[in-house]
Amino acid sequence: MPTEVVLPSLSAGMEDAIIARWLKAEGDDVAPGEVLAEIETDKATMELEAETAGRLGRLLCQSGERAAVGEAIALVLAGDEDPSALDAEAPKPAPEPEADRNEVAASPVSEQPAPSRRKAASPLARRVAAEWGVALDGLPGSGPAGRVVRVDVERARDAAEPADAAAEVDPPAAPKASRVPEARDPAIPAGIGAHDAIPHSGMRRTIARRLHEAKTTIPHFYLEADCDIAALLEMRGRVNEGRDRAERISVNDLVVKAAALALRKVPRANAVWTEDATLQLRSVDISIAVATEDGLVTPILREADRKGLGTISAEVKELAARAREGRLRPEEYQGGGFSISNLGMYGVKSFAAIVNPPQSCILAVGAAETRPVGRDGEIVLAPVMSCTLSVDHRSVDGALGAEWLAAFKAAIQNPMTLLL
Amino acid sequence: MPDFTDLTPISTWREIAASAEDRTALEPGLGRTMLVQAHLIRAFEEKVLELAGQGLVHGPAHSAIGQEGGAVGSALALRPSDQVNGSHRAHHQFLAKALAYVAPDGIDPEAGFDETIRSLSKRTLSEILGLAEGFCKGRGGSMHLRWSEAGNLGTNAIVGGGVPMAAGAAWAHRRAGKGDVVYTYFGDGAVNIGSVLETMNIAAAWKLPICFFIENNRYAVSTHVEECTAEPRLSSRGQAFGIPAFKVDGMDTLSVYLAAQEANAIMRTGRGPTIIEADVYRYFHQNGALPGSAFGYRSKEEEAEWRGRDPLDRLGADLQDRQIIGSQAIEDLRANCTGLMDEIAGELVETVDGQRRIVPALWPEENFRDFGLRGDLSEFEGARFEEEASFSGKLKKDVKFIDVVSRVMARRMSEDDRIVVLGEDVHRLKGGTNGATRGLSEEFPDRVLGTPISENAFTGLAGGMAADGRVRPVIEFMYPDFMWVAADQVFNQIGKARHMFGGDSAMPLVLRTKIAMGTGYGSQHSMDPAGIFATAPGWRIVAPSTPFDYVGLMNSALRCEDPVLVLEHVDLYASKGRAPVEDLDYCIPLGKARLVREGRRATILTYLGMVETTRAAVERLGMDAEVIDLRSLDRAGLDWKTVEASIRKTGNVMIVEQGASGTSYGAWLADELQRRCFDWLDQPIKRVTGSEASPSISKVLEAAACARPQDVEAGLRELMSDQGLKLAAE
Repeated sequence: MPTEVVLPSLSAGMEDAIIARWLKAEGDDVAPGEVLAEIETDKATMELEAETAGRLGRLLCQSGERAAVGEAIALVLAGDEDPSALDAEAPKPAPEPEADRNEVAASPVSEQPAPSRRKAASPLARRVAAEWGVALDGLPGSGPAGRVVRVDVERARDAAEPADAAAEVDPPAAPKASRVPEARDPAIPAGIGAHDAIPHSGMRRTIARRLHEAKTTIPHFYLEADCDIAALLEMRGRVNEGRDRAERISVNDLVVKAAALALRKVPRANAVWTEDATLQLRSVDISIAVATEDGLVTPILREADRKGLGTISAEVKELAARAREGRLRPEEYQGGGFSISNLGMYGVKSFAAIVNPPQSCILAVGAAETRPVGRDGEIVLAPVMSCTLSVDHRSVDGALGAEWLAAFKAAIQNPMTLLL
Repeated sequence: MPDFTDLTPISTWREIAASAEDRTALEPGLGRTMLVQAHLIRAFEEKVLELAGQGLVHGPAHSAIGQEGGAVGSALALRPSDQVNGSHRAHHQFLAKALAYVAPDGIDPEAGFDETIRSLSKRTLSEILGLAEGFCKGRGGSMHLRWSEAGNLGTNAIVGGGVPMAAGAAWAHRRAGKGDVVYTYFGDGAVNIGSVLETMNIAAAWKLPICFFIENNRYAVSTHVEECTAEPRLSSRGQAFGIPAFKVDGMDTLSVYLAAQEANAIMRTGRGPTIIEADVYRYFHQNGALPGSAFGYRSKEEEAEWRGRDPLDRLGADLQDRQIIGSQAIEDLRANCTGLMDEIAGELVETVDGQRRIVPALWPEENFRDFGLRGDLSEFEGARFEEEASFSGKLKKDVKFIDVVSRVMARRMSEDDRIVVLGEDVHRLKGGTNGATRGLSEEFPDRVLGTPISENAFTGLAGGMAADGRVRPVIEFMYPDFMWVAADQVFNQIGKARHMFGGDSAMPLVLRTKIAMGTGYGSQHSMDPAGIFATAPGWRIVAPSTPFDYVGLMNSALRCEDPVLVLEHVDLYASKGRAPVEDLDYCIPLGKARLVREGRRATILTYLGMVETTRAAVERLGMDAEVIDLRSLDRAGLDWKTVEASIRKTGNVMIVEQGASGTSYGAWLADELQRRCFDWLDQPIKRVTGSEASPSISKVLEAAACARPQDVEAGLRELMSDQGLKLAAE
């Protein structure tokens, strides 16, 4: 009998994924450990390895198609198995309801038809689902064999909480929806005329969901500061003397370092909001926003306060590169206590970012530009960088945010501290 | 041809029979009392058989008809403060001892029976019928008759099972030094079982005032004594152990009385145990009202021959010869006895619609079922409880765990002279094989007893000490696996005694043993016994994982009126921790877990050696998990409140233990938890245990068979991923 290749859960909370690319074709021999396909999840592209040896018999899910965790995406024939075995195997998903009907018919004592497949959900998940009014039906499960566990219900509840309007727009999670929506799709606004539909990637959906949730549920407030970076630029010049172009310390690296030091100094800003408690993180892990073709990714620089500028620079470059290639591992983008988003390189003067939940603060960094500033009682021209701190007021109050921003500004304006 | 030298046993072995002078010298009052006792017992047993025939005795009714002489002859040689116990066939001995107790001045066969005798008969019959008025409130029935006030320690349904416990009572008597003795009655069938022979050996070695009273009625159920042993004169066993032994005709009450007096003279003067073998005959089959011949294992002729030597007739004839009583008086006595039994049975049984039945109001209430499985811990009133976190006394760091083990015991022994330590080599090797009893034998030479390698006997002996109450024994099993060797005493006797005898009797016994996984002692020395003990509800179990907790939990174990298993671990012996410097007197409640580490995502339940292993693994992985050291492991002692609160918080639970999966502790706990916490569980209860097989000697195989840190880590990882979370806190 052919062996099913099932889409595994490759990261926590993974519900489904797109088979980005098959690396093996039907008829190819496969060995355990060989990469069969690239799987694109919300955040990353991962490799799916073969577990059994044999011959790739049939692809049940084509490149570019979406599959649910636990779903069979291919069949592998044993070495000597005849391909005809595939046909016995292939219609497997279909007969299930039929078998159930037969069963019902065969047992007249049965008072009501059994559901076609029991949805496994943990007792706790059932209890909290009932409590919160979350339907278990159709809920993806993160537990073994797709069991719905508490965290899945929590996610469903959190996703359902924002305005109902969003729910209207959101197409129902139809399995394997066609990549291009039909022209008559009522979800398409009338009168927009000719357009190209760019189907949502998993990442796009996640960005949409998370930021929508953040902007609508988190009580944001914003603190702005202008930093005089003359000394910082001067120091950067000296630090980079003799360094290869590729290894030069960027302004952004210095910003990261300054933010890390400020978090060390004001640890209460390094906070994660939960229902029961505000978690003050012990490690200074900073999420750095990286723009990729598919959307925003935030790889994490761990223990940034303990790292020197050189290390920070190298690691940020490396993380950003892999983020653009979609090759971050889950642990590289899950977690973090603080985010930095820098759009200075686009010439943006200043902007306010959306808090990256469950973190409490995100720093938006604008471009360095020459502006008149007051110095020693005189107006002089100096390079100035505007920074905006967006704060979740539930966990961090205004004074605390201000304290952090002051610490950050002090570090930027006295850049020698960044070398320590 | 080699030279042979004849060797002779050090002890005597003699047949004893009353002479003509003895019969003449029998004091009339004593003779008349013997006759009344024998007739009361006969009439009682006939009533039991009658009720059994009507289906009113639930379970077997082992009749002693024909064997009255042995019981009456010996019991009347005892003082009220002497004690007896017996086997499944013991109504006669129970009644004889109790009658001698309620009527110390004898009973007049020509007067009516007073209320005490009537009440005794009724309460005994009530017990046999399983009624609330019985001595054990109906729990014990025919085979578990206990009335400690009268010196009846409790009869036993395990062949030979009560014998070691009788030796424990004898040890308490010897220590008290008042000359009191214990008779342990058993049959020919029990002579060949280990607990009897082990106890004979230990009693002789320790010169305990115990009489091994063998009722040789020829048949172990249907198997003849000559089929069971090449030496059917069972009193011969004394020679193997250096015990003076007597053989006597048990159908002759006076001869038995004389044998008992001889034996008592030896025992009351500190010369150790005795054996009396009384040749007797049960007229009926093992149980019920049919003769043995009906089952074909013996002949009617044999039965007729023995009936011809009936002890009641013999006694009556002796007394009539001396004109101590007349034949009419004997007939009247017989009628009085049967009349009494009719009367008391009439109060217990009624006829409804032509059917005989127990008067319904006399049954125990159903809710009495579990009452008294264990004590109510009222002995802890006024106890001072401490926890390391809030301890105000002086603490010292880096104290070796093993040193605390002996220190707290020395402290308690100096405060409480009832405490006696016994086990293999506990008195030598500077504190036994591990140093756990270091210094005790020097300080308390009479209270630290190095035992023969007879786990069954010394465990039962300790049980007898504890039941007696004048001694609080602390047994050591060198390895937990030896509990199987002593299983009858551990589980059938010590674990069940309180409940089986009505729920009121204490069993203050401590059993220490060390888990030795990791020492290379292999399959038969490497178990964790917690899981097995947890199936025995009479036992309490504590598992201290720190020196501080050891002090408090050992103090509680020694204070408790129930048997307590104190688990130790060789790995912990070598460990160091904070321990009190001066204060060795505090308790830790039996029933309170210790929160080792707080967390939100998972609850890890563990104990003993795995506490630190688990805590370290959780820290290493950076998990947001709660670790609970259960400390008290038995069903009654489990801190359900703490455990359930934690599970309600985290929704996920894992039980970590080191030992083999088959005898696992976590199995029953998981079962109980899924029932208590079902709606709070986000995944099935996870468990980390050792392998299916017992650990082997080979170092590599042993390590693989026990749960290791990496096994705990693997379990922790799965515990998180199966709730859809990554390992470290989100």
